[in-house]
Amino acid sequence: MTDQKPVVRLDGVRKEYGETVALDGVSLEIRSGEAVAVMGPSGCGKSTLLNMIAGLDRPTGGTIEVHGERVDAMNETKLALFRRHHLGMIFQFFNLLDDLPALDNVALAAQLTGSKAGPARKRALELLDELGIADRRNIYPAALSGGERQRVAVARALMNRPALLLADEPTGALDSKAGEQVMDLLLDLNQIGQTLLIVTHDERLAHRCASRLVEMGDGRIARESALERS
Amino acid sequence: MSAVWRAARAAVRRRRLQTFLIGLVVLLCSATTVVSLALLDASSAPFDRTFAARHGAHAVAAYDPAKVTEAQLTAARTGVAAAAGPFGQIVLEPDDRSVGPLPPHAITVVGRADPGGPVDQLDVWHGRWPSAPGEIVLAFPPEENMDRGPLAEMTSVSANGVTLRVVGFAYGISDSADGWVTPEQVRALHPTGLQMLYRFTGDVSTKEAVNARLSGVTTGLPTGALIGAEPYLTVKEDAAEDLGTYLPLLATFGVLGLVVAVLIVGNVVSGAVVSGFRHIGVLKALGFTPRQVVTVYLLMASVPAVAGAVPGAVIGALGGQALIGEAFRGFGFGDTEISWWVWLAALLGIPLIVLVSALVPARRAHRLSAAEAITAGSAQRRGRGLRVQRALSGTRLPRAVSLGLGLPFARPGRTALTMAALLLGVTTVTFAAGLASTLNRVAEIDVQVSGDIGVRGLPSDFGTPTTRTDAQVEELLRGLPGTARVGVFADTELAAAGSNEPIRVIFGRGEVAELGYRAQLLEGRWMAAPDEVVAPSNLLLERGLKVGDQVAVESGGRRGTLRIVGETVRGPSGPPGLMADWSSLTTFVADPKLAPSDFYYQVQVTPGTSVAGYVAAVRAADSGLDVWDNTGGDEFTVIVAGFSTVLGLLLATVAALGVLNTVALDALERRRDLGMLKSIGMTPAQVVAMMVTSMAALGVVGGLLGLPLGILTHRFVVPMSASGARVRLPLSVLTVWSPAVVIPLVLTGVLIAVLGALLPARAAARMTIAQVLHNE
Repeated sequence: MTDQKPVVRLDGVRKEYGETVALDGVSLEIRSGEAVAVMGPSGCGKSTLLNMIAGLDRPTGGTIEVHGERVDAMNETKLALFRRHHLGMIFQFFNLLDDLPALDNVALAAQLTGSKAGPARKRALELLDELGIADRRNIYPAALSGGERQRVAVARALMNRPALLLADEPTGALDSKAGEQVMDLLLDLNQIGQTLLIVTHDERLAHRCASRLVEMGDGRIARESALERS
Repeated sequence: MSAVWRAARAAVRRRRLQTFLIGLVVLLCSATTVVSLALLDASSAPFDRTFAARHGAHAVAAYDPAKVTEAQLTAARTGVAAAAGPFGQIVLEPDDRSVGPLPPHAITVVGRADPGGPVDQLDVWHGRWPSAPGEIVLAFPPEENMDRGPLAEMTSVSANGVTLRVVGFAYGISDSADGWVTPEQVRALHPTGLQMLYRFTGDVSTKEAVNARLSGVTTGLPTGALIGAEPYLTVKEDAAEDLGTYLPLLATFGVLGLVVAVLIVGNVVSGAVVSGFRHIGVLKALGFTPRQVVTVYLLMASVPAVAGAVPGAVIGALGGQALIGEAFRGFGFGDTEISWWVWLAALLGIPLIVLVSALVPARRAHRLSAAEAITAGSAQRRGRGLRVQRALSGTRLPRAVSLGLGLPFARPGRTALTMAALLLGVTTVTFAAGLASTLNRVAEIDVQVSGDIGVRGLPSDFGTPTTRTDAQVEELLRGLPGTARVGVFADTELAAAGSNEPIRVIFGRGEVAELGYRAQLLEGRWMAAPDEVVAPSNLLLERGLKVGDQVAVESGGRRGTLRIVGETVRGPSGPPGLMADWSSLTTFVADPKLAPSDFYYQVQVTPGTSVAGYVAAVRAADSGLDVWDNTGGDEFTVIVAGFSTVLGLLLATVAALGVLNTVALDALERRRDLGMLKSIGMTPAQVVAMMVTSMAALGVVGGLLGLPLGILTHRFVVPMSASGARVRLPLSVLTVWSPAVVIPLVLTGVLIAVLGALLPARAAARMTIAQVLHNE
């Protein structure tokens, strides 16, 4: 399913926090339709790498291109608009708005672009339906299970049809059953062409969903390898 | 160092912004509290305070030196707590009464070696005390500007064949003399009286009690030794009349300031503790006992509270003293020291409010388990707030706006306190704006009825009088370029049937009604017949008259009846009098022989005409005419407008700080939500819009509720203030609420809210979100 067009291109990216070097000259390409898993011990810089690609944090040096645009050179507003249209994000702890039911949490991503409530809710409902939790659309996050919350988060991430889906430990807060469901979901998404970057400690997740593994250590890419999905 | 102290110190260091905010809010609220309490204190008893501070005399007595000796007076001490005197006293008839504002009667001059002493300490507010014969200090309330004005012209007083050089001005709360000279000087003038100043023991709160004490003192003195005595209560009554205008205004600002300060401190501190619930949970998990946890939080709030309260109280004291001093200085009540209880209330009261505000939520945390406390630190997620958010998400509003509108429902308690502060902020600003508008309108009426220019013929003893008749002077004035209207007045006193006191009647011709007197009619109508008069409110109050009453008058055997057909705010300058048409003059006055100096002319000039130029033109045209500029605001308007502006701004700032704190807390509690929203594409502008909207909504509600409250306060307090000054205000000066005034005032709430929210909202928009999104 992959082609040769890179969705993400990092060139010599460096990130320092005071005297601590979180990323030390990382260069990486992710092509459209790829599913890349980033693994490594705690503090190796994998979450920092994801933050850099998402424009949530700025590199100290190097360049970052996502979807052909220099993310590291954008101002905050451009970054927000860029994220809105080209990136979807899933977090370990879901980060849903507790004051909104599932449907409105998903619709929110489209509403921020200026979509009216009606069409946004319609698309949100379609996504929840595709993810198998349409019947939970009116439930608030506090009353949803972990797996359900992560599905809502995935639906929200897909709302604006992003070129790249970034997942930070997507199964880290889930029990094994819910984790399996999320893995299946990510796999399905990749198989229909969604480019994925997954930061994880979970080897099962990496081997199940990713086509390439990037292993990090001390802020550098230690090894890259192709994966056979299990 | 105990673990509790260490944890509290760490919490203060870690929460620098919150600590700074608590300190700043406490500082401003302490300042506001001191100013407010000082206003309330000052407004409760300004005379009594100064009287006590200056050891005012309960009675000022004058004795006949021919009948009693100084030794006898000194020895007479029955019921006397303190006495000063005997001082030589003489009544002087100044040769030149028109120079400066000397009273229109003889002046009482007393020989005193110094302005201090056990009774009636005098405030020499300008110049110095007389040190040699030939010098005099005159009694006048303090004036702000001595470079110009009537007092500046008073360099000497000539009377009884001597000329006394004015070396200073002093003010005494006991009103014991019009001027003071050295004892040697008064001896040279051959005093006709001996003055004794008494402070009595026991209760002297009534005139009867003062008189009883006086009887006690004079018992044993030769019969007829006491010429006369004035109890302090007479002076107090006069002062109350003057001050009556200020007191309701000061008290209103005082109460508003106090309530806002308490609300904001409560909101800020309780919010800080609630936002720290998670930390409380962690401390409990570490093994801190519930009591230790509460102590940590009380200490955490106390440090900035004390740091803010002390400088705040000092700033408030300095500001309050200046403000009250400014307000009361003109009345001679310069002793505006902040009372000890005001200091105490600010230095202990505000930190106490801080502690109580911290204690309430801290005790809630005290009851929670560690796990509950950890999860309770975020905004509430249930009930009405959720329903509102859901309803808003379906609206057509931009999503950032609809999310912002829902935010206040997550923390109803905090929202209520913030809104209450905004509401009172708008109330204060509305009241201050209304007051300023009313004062401006009153000033406009004053200026209008005073005319831009006043003209009077010079009396013969002040120069060469004009040779023109009143008709010729009027013609001259009407012929000068720039003249719009001319009113000519002459007054006389007519005997009033049923009263010992004659009544003053001012006859006017020309455009008297158009000068503004008709426009300021409070009741009734303008006169239309020769026997009809209109009267100013203060005259009606003084005489117990009302519109519709008739006054029988007599002049040289000629009798007639004047019918009061209208009530005006005020009449022409000078003592109050009935205003009658010129045609009535010959009807009611038997022999109206009027000298040129008896006519008073008011001139209004056309817009764009230079008043100074006009004054110069009149002088050039006839040097026998005294002419002066009547324009310019009065001191009262300037002072009240000044302090209402200062207090309005202060309270608006405090309310804005409350908003700032609320938004900062919301941003802190919702940092994860904010991070998520930014991660899915919320722009910094949308974050700012969301946070600002959340407060602007409160500003709208605060504005809509605060505006009518401010209008009601204005409607209630201003007439009360006016009645204190024995003035009735026309409806036109109270109905100042045109759309041009009201609309900006409604927006004041939004403005305060937006200004308060902008800074933390921008900080929230710039927040680094990577960390909060990846960690629970």
